[in-house]
Amino acid sequence: MSDLDLRASHYLLGLLDPAEAADVEARLATDPELATAVATWRERLGELDTTAMPIQPSPALWDRVEASLAAGPPQPVPLRRPAASAPPRPANDRAPFWRRMTGLAVAACLLLAVGLGVQSWRFERTPTMVAVLLAGADRPVAVVNTFRDGRVELVPLEALQVPEGRALQVWTLWDRQVGPRSVAVLDRPQTARLRLDDLPLGQDQLFEITLEPAGGSPTGRPTGPVLGIGRTKGAL
Amino acid sequence: MAAHHGTVPTGDGREADLARLLAACARGDKSALRALYDAEAPAMLGVATRLLRRRAVAEDAVHDAFVKIWNGAAGFDPARGNARSWIYAILRHRSLDMLRAQSREELTDTPIDEEEPLPSEDPEAVVARLSDRKALRHCLEQLAPGQRRAVVLAFVHGLTHPELAGRLDVPLGTAKSWVRRGVLSLRECLG
Repeated sequence: MSDLDLRASHYLLGLLDPAEAADVEARLATDPELATAVATWRERLGELDTTAMPIQPSPALWDRVEASLAAGPPQPVPLRRPAASAPPRPANDRAPFWRRMTGLAVAACLLLAVGLGVQSWRFERTPTMVAVLLAGADRPVAVVNTFRDGRVELVPLEALQVPEGRALQVWTLWDRQVGPRSVAVLDRPQTARLRLDDLPLGQDQLFEITLEPAGGSPTGRPTGPVLGIGRTKGAL
Repeated sequence: MAAHHGTVPTGDGREADLARLLAACARGDKSALRALYDAEAPAMLGVATRLLRRRAVAEDAVHDAFVKIWNGAAGFDPARGNARSWIYAILRHRSLDMLRAQSREELTDTPIDEEEPLPSEDPEAVVARLSDRKALRHCLEQLAPGQRRAVVLAFVHGLTHPELAGRLDVPLGTAKSWVRRGVLSLRECLG
């Protein structure tokens, strides 16, 4: 199978990473061969959509559609937060991490990731992936490095304050169905091996540190404030 | 309100009807959009709910899809493709965007969701619901079970490679290779 056809099939399955998907989308308008390959895959697999059980929409849905047409220019509704009934948060106050993530922070991540990659190489330990965990928009507090042999380590970059009776807990999330999984509980910021064991590990996987009661979250889910959060990226 | 468009029958008549309704939408006929909604919204909500797992979020995706269908109907060319495919492409694209955005914000300090996500389906049951007169079912049944499950779960639930690895309980590389090999075999089988 040609590389183009493989990309077309993975694009249709939603399996390209965001940069690759954006590249395919940009080329669809100008590359008839790619557009045909995507359309062909859509025809091949589209019948799977007929196996979804129909669900009667709530009566209000058509009214919303009609109101949006009357409003004129297309305005997709903002993404509903998972806790739909929670009161809206004030802007700039604990807004979701990714919305706060500025260009500056992205640049800082890249610089840091590249810098750490170089440093580790000097010690003959090349991480395969790096996640820079940020507090707020642009303050790196820790790095997660993954290695070819499966080791995953946390390196703190900042002396995070841990009050008496509390602990730092490190989590990873690769599947929303499964939810975040704990990979370490630390009583102080320190370089630590993260226990992923049989958990999946891939690009763009989330890691975060939260402040929890000593011994770790009693619920098995993050309960305390997020001290740092970031996603894995492949090292150059 | 859309009586003059009649009901939308199944089969080829339905496809022709969808194309006709899109052409009417392109001319600004709102009752055509309503007829399209009456005919397809339940099936579309089923597809979006399978991808997004939460009914309320899926309704948002269907809402956005209908707004895009209305605004983009003039761009649909029946000579270049199937109306049904065009509509579901818009819906799936929007749903996948929302799904990926959701997983980006999932690990933040959001309280645990009150609406429990719907369970994922057994991929073998999905395949069994395909018409046995169609080549897709036959070709999926020819695949090795791991490849079949990986392709079906990626399509119907929008699972990523790491999610497939977790769900199928295999290393990430295996999940990726199952999708690739599944896609390759499907192409040979379906032509």
